[in-house]
Amino acid sequence: MGTRWYQSLSLRLLLMFWALLFAVASSGYVLGLWFSKPAEPTPVPEDVYNSLTPLLSDSATFQSLSPGRLLAGNYRVAATVAPTGPERLQLDATLATRHQRLLIRQLEAESAQQLPVSNFMLLGPFRQGDASILLTRPLNDAERQQQVLSEQQAQEAQTLALLIGSGLIAILLGVWLVRPLRQLTYAMRDIARGGDVPDLKRLPQRNDELGELARAMHTTAHDLTVSRDAQRRLLSDVSHELRSPLARMQVALMLSHDEDEQANNPHVAQLNRDLDRLGAIIERILSLSRLENGLVHLSTTELDTRELAEQLVADLTYVDAGHGSRVKVLPEAPARGDWPVIYSDAELLRLVLENLVRNALQYSGGPVELSCQRQDHEYIIAIRDHGEGVPKEQLKKLFMPFFRGDPSRHHKAGVGLGLALSLRAAKVLGGSVEARNHPDGGLEVCVKLPVEEPTESD
Amino acid sequence: MSKLLLVDDDAELSAMLEQILTKEGYQLTLAADGEIGLRRALSGSYDLILLDVMLPGIDGFQLLQHLRQQARSTPVIMLTARGDDDDRVAGLELGADDYLPKPFNPKELLARIKALLRRTPNTSVTPELIDYAGFFINPVDNEVRVDETPLDLTPTEFDILRTLVQAAGHVVSKNQLSVAALGRQLAPFDRSLDVHISNIRKKIAVDPERIQTVRGRGYRLLKLA
Repeated sequence: MGTRWYQSLSLRLLLMFWALLFAVASSGYVLGLWFSKPAEPTPVPEDVYNSLTPLLSDSATFQSLSPGRLLAGNYRVAATVAPTGPERLQLDATLATRHQRLLIRQLEAESAQQLPVSNFMLLGPFRQGDASILLTRPLNDAERQQQVLSEQQAQEAQTLALLIGSGLIAILLGVWLVRPLRQLTYAMRDIARGGDVPDLKRLPQRNDELGELARAMHTTAHDLTVSRDAQRRLLSDVSHELRSPLARMQVALMLSHDEDEQANNPHVAQLNRDLDRLGAIIERILSLSRLENGLVHLSTTELDTRELAEQLVADLTYVDAGHGSRVKVLPEAPARGDWPVIYSDAELLRLVLENLVRNALQYSGGPVELSCQRQDHEYIIAIRDHGEGVPKEQLKKLFMPFFRGDPSRHHKAGVGLGLALSLRAAKVLGGSVEARNHPDGGLEVCVKLPVEEPTESD
Repeated sequence: MSKLLLVDDDAELSAMLEQILTKEGYQLTLAADGEIGLRRALSGSYDLILLDVMLPGIDGFQLLQHLRQQARSTPVIMLTARGDDDDRVAGLELGADDYLPKPFNPKELLARIKALLRRTPNTSVTPELIDYAGFFINPVDNEVRVDETPLDLTPTEFDILRTLVQAAGHVVSKNQLSVAALGRQLAPFDRSLDVHISNIRKKIAVDPERIQTVRGRGYRLLKLA
């Protein structure tokens, strides 16, 4: 199902931005009005009043005054109200266009006031009987400065308010847009980590493109879970079908020969060995395929890598004393910091190391040394043997399943999956495995593991 | 003569195992599917049960679950051809005593059977009562109490706890516990002991962490403050 045009994210974004612009502009306008409110009127100073009164005391003069006329000095008539007549109220035409209401309000005041208006001072009303007039004069320097200053303040306040207001709205808008994206990212990580269908909250119910993406993600996660389950079932079935006949063969072999023959007949011994080998191959193929298909659940704990290495050597010694005694964990006196305590999956790390050490034991006759060092953001565990090494062009191929460097040693060797398993397991742990020929001879395989930083989520 | 029950739908394998086990002096009864197996197991007259996981009808896990719900503590060895680590642990968590992945060496199976039968309740080595840190054990009646509350443990869990109580707060290594409870050395990659310990912890209602894990060394009992 597609997104209808009126539900689309682009339309919503357009509307949001438009609303944002509108909100900012209108708040600017309102602020402008607020700050440009005229100053409060003050009573006309006494000296001005006294100097003007004589001019206005004569009723003939008073009545002859008309708006626009210069009265005396800078004083100009702005409005007149005659006691009688068809046009009682007369206003200066130029002033009336912008300040009509102001003039009328001032005419109704009880006593004479003065009020700065844009670039002039409005004075009045001066009354004689029922007639009254308003005067204007240009602002003097001090007053003009005062006017400019207050305008400037108003502008600054306005700018600041607009900045804060628009910033807040932009943050809201960002959160509105980014929150679902972050939810989607977390969900995606969840899926990648092999989790089941992720919790997308109310996202899939949205009607826009984000909702569509969330629904697509939900479906994908569901499909992945289903196919992962199918894979798991297949693995388990294949495993069962291969192992059951092997189990029968092993029991049948034991039944068909008595104990002496078991021990002395080379053919029986060969059969036993090959049965073990087949079992091992199946085991490893299944492990490899579990690792490759992300079917392994990591259980991360705090683990001491030196202890793990030493336990591994102890186990190898238990299985085969001759083998075990060839493996050394270096340095022999434990020092602080060389073998770290890390957060990792103990079994998987053990699987990595065990296969590498077994491989080293198998392909070389001499001692095998395990050491560890920290380099930048990695721990490097090195397994070094003292054999002949491997031709340079084959170093990378070592980690391919069933690859064997030297075909003539086919029979002595393991099943050819150990190194592939190590590599895969190391990758699941977030690390890598590389092989190189040591400058002083022998093969050195390095396991690189990330230094575990505190994880960002869960 | 010990009586064993083998629940496995692989008729050919069962027949061969019967020969081997009979030759070793065990009396073996076969059950080819889960329902028959459960009925026979619940009759309770067996010393040990060998249980396959993949069975027609109810599977091995379900059978084990029913069995343990009926408070039958007959020792159980799981035989699994699936061999998934998760499967192995699942069996132990449901109360199996040990597991053996198929294919197995029949000698290994015989060794495990012997180890589990050796320490059946009436052949207990230390007849005297022992108690430490609120744990009270009567080896004769197979009775366990924690802070006066009786615990219902499987024989393997019982042996593990008894070994820990006997050590009276000293660390017991995983290998010692494995030998004492499962009759064998701790093998690489073997998680069965850890699962048994976690099962015991689950059964101890008050402060299960009294069984303390000493990293890299083993387990010990903690005295309550």
